[in-house]
Amino acid sequence: MRPVAASRIPGQRWYTPYLFPLPALVLFGVFFAWPAVTAVQLSFTDYDGVSPPVFTGLDNFVEILGDARFWTALRNSLVFLVGLFPLLVVLPLPLAVLVNQKLPGIRTFRMLYYLPVVTSMVAVAVAWNYVFHQQGVVNWLLTGLGILDEPIQYLLDPVWALPALILVEGWKNMGVYMMVYLAGLQTIPSELYEAARIDGANGWHRMRRITVPLMVPYIAVTVTMAMLDAMQAFTTVFVMTKGGPQDATLMLGYYIWAEAFEKYDMGYASAVGLVLWVLLIVMALLNYRLTSGRRETR
Amino acid sequence: MNRWIRRAGMYVLLTAIALAFVGPFLILLSAALKPAGQAVFSFPPDIIPRPPVLTWAKEAWTAIPFPRYLLNSAFLVAVMVPLYILVSALCAYPLAQLVFRGRSLIFFAILATMFLPGEVMLLPRFLVVSQIGMADSYLGVILPGLLSAFGIFLLRQTFAGVPREIVDAARTDGCHELRIFWHVMLPAARPTLAILGVFGFISVWNSFIWPMVVLKDSSLYPISLGIAYLAGITGTDIRSLAAGTIISILPVVVFFMIMQRHVLEGMRGAVKS
Repeated sequence: MRPVAASRIPGQRWYTPYLFPLPALVLFGVFFAWPAVTAVQLSFTDYDGVSPPVFTGLDNFVEILGDARFWTALRNSLVFLVGLFPLLVVLPLPLAVLVNQKLPGIRTFRMLYYLPVVTSMVAVAVAWNYVFHQQGVVNWLLTGLGILDEPIQYLLDPVWALPALILVEGWKNMGVYMMVYLAGLQTIPSELYEAARIDGANGWHRMRRITVPLMVPYIAVTVTMAMLDAMQAFTTVFVMTKGGPQDATLMLGYYIWAEAFEKYDMGYASAVGLVLWVLLIVMALLNYRLTSGRRETR
Repeated sequence: MNRWIRRAGMYVLLTAIALAFVGPFLILLSAALKPAGQAVFSFPPDIIPRPPVLTWAKEAWTAIPFPRYLLNSAFLVAVMVPLYILVSALCAYPLAQLVFRGRSLIFFAILATMFLPGEVMLLPRFLVVSQIGMADSYLGVILPGLLSAFGIFLLRQTFAGVPREIVDAARTDGCHELRIFWHVMLPAARPTLAILGVFGFISVWNSFIWPMVVLKDSSLYPISLGIAYLAGITGTDIRSLAAGTIISILPVVVFFMIMQRHVLEGMRGAVKS
């Protein structure tokens, strides 16, 4: 709903509307605008956090181009994003359809599917360390099914570590995406499905012809959310692998952290941050254009 | 008959999926409760503790200053949640109900905060916080967390739905804006305030990165930092780590189960706005 267009209220002082947002605006100025300006400034300097920053022009950005670890981090972030798409954009839709049914106790199932969302990433990381343990349940399943010959330490294996993180991140956040779709599904009039059922459409057809087309605006939302989630992933990496083994899970968010707080190369970290920022804006715009184009042609 | 089979199949499917979401927590719980004689890991997995013991919970409780960390988190929740709701509501009210120059500018400023990646902001925000002398203090933890675009937009939408007649009637009765805000708007937005309270509780209780960056003094740690610390010092003692982790998530999980209705409705409102 759009705000009601009110006319100026007689007797109201001109500054009254500005007093209310004042606390929010002060917080915005100090903790968003000021740091954002600082970040841009620092990206053109060499700064170790102790001695004053030294202006170095575009040096940091030139350095990024030749920085193999940056490209590794970018590649891993993109793999992470692609790997998360089925888990966060695709799978939650049938999951939402499933919990949108009118069945006794369905609320409890919704709640259970949402449980990982409300628990802290630290706790989730600890729990999955047990699941991924050499003698843990994943190894038991995969060796039992004959997929693996012998147990693996997933988080210490350069091939398996990134897929393992994708699984954990997807598992933790799936509930949010399910709820987004559920909110969308509840706007679809049930008559549409009734009519389709009378016309003899089966479940798959109803999904393809009714649910998915009507969910396009919501898919646009989940795609944007998944992009922000994946490209910024930090806590997951920090608590589970610290970017290892051999940079196999090094992603942009963690790389920025490591440059800033481990190597104290704060100018360079800011420059990488700026690149990530621009990347996110470009991706968001691209997604917006693609999905709004689809909405018009429909 | 056919319907019953279908329905039973549906519940089997729902339960199997539920197991995938709850399973890792059950494994954790099992490791936390197993007696010393029972192996934590085995092929096939042996989940049921025989008998359940609280030894490891007690051990975790004393290995780190557990009560202290729980109290720290409770304190942060008690201070931050009401304040962030108040700041959001104050900002949302004129955006929803008043006309003034610069309204859309404020709107876009708030919107912009949603697109500033947290990881990019971590370092510069820490530098600013240190510069104004708030590093290693709760002030530095609390203040940056009070601005919430989610809260402002959700409340703006709620306030915009309050009928004009009520607001106008209050104005003709001589109510000034602050009274309208306090006595008309806030009561009308009670369900939204509850939703924001629930989400605020969950996010403050689970906050990890920002407190880690700001706080040096370990006696100020909130519980999730405490658990990370426990994971660091126990290393091999997987049983007390499991027990500690279970204790740390218990408050938020119980709270969520009681308030689940609000959470799910809040998601709906958030998607709409």
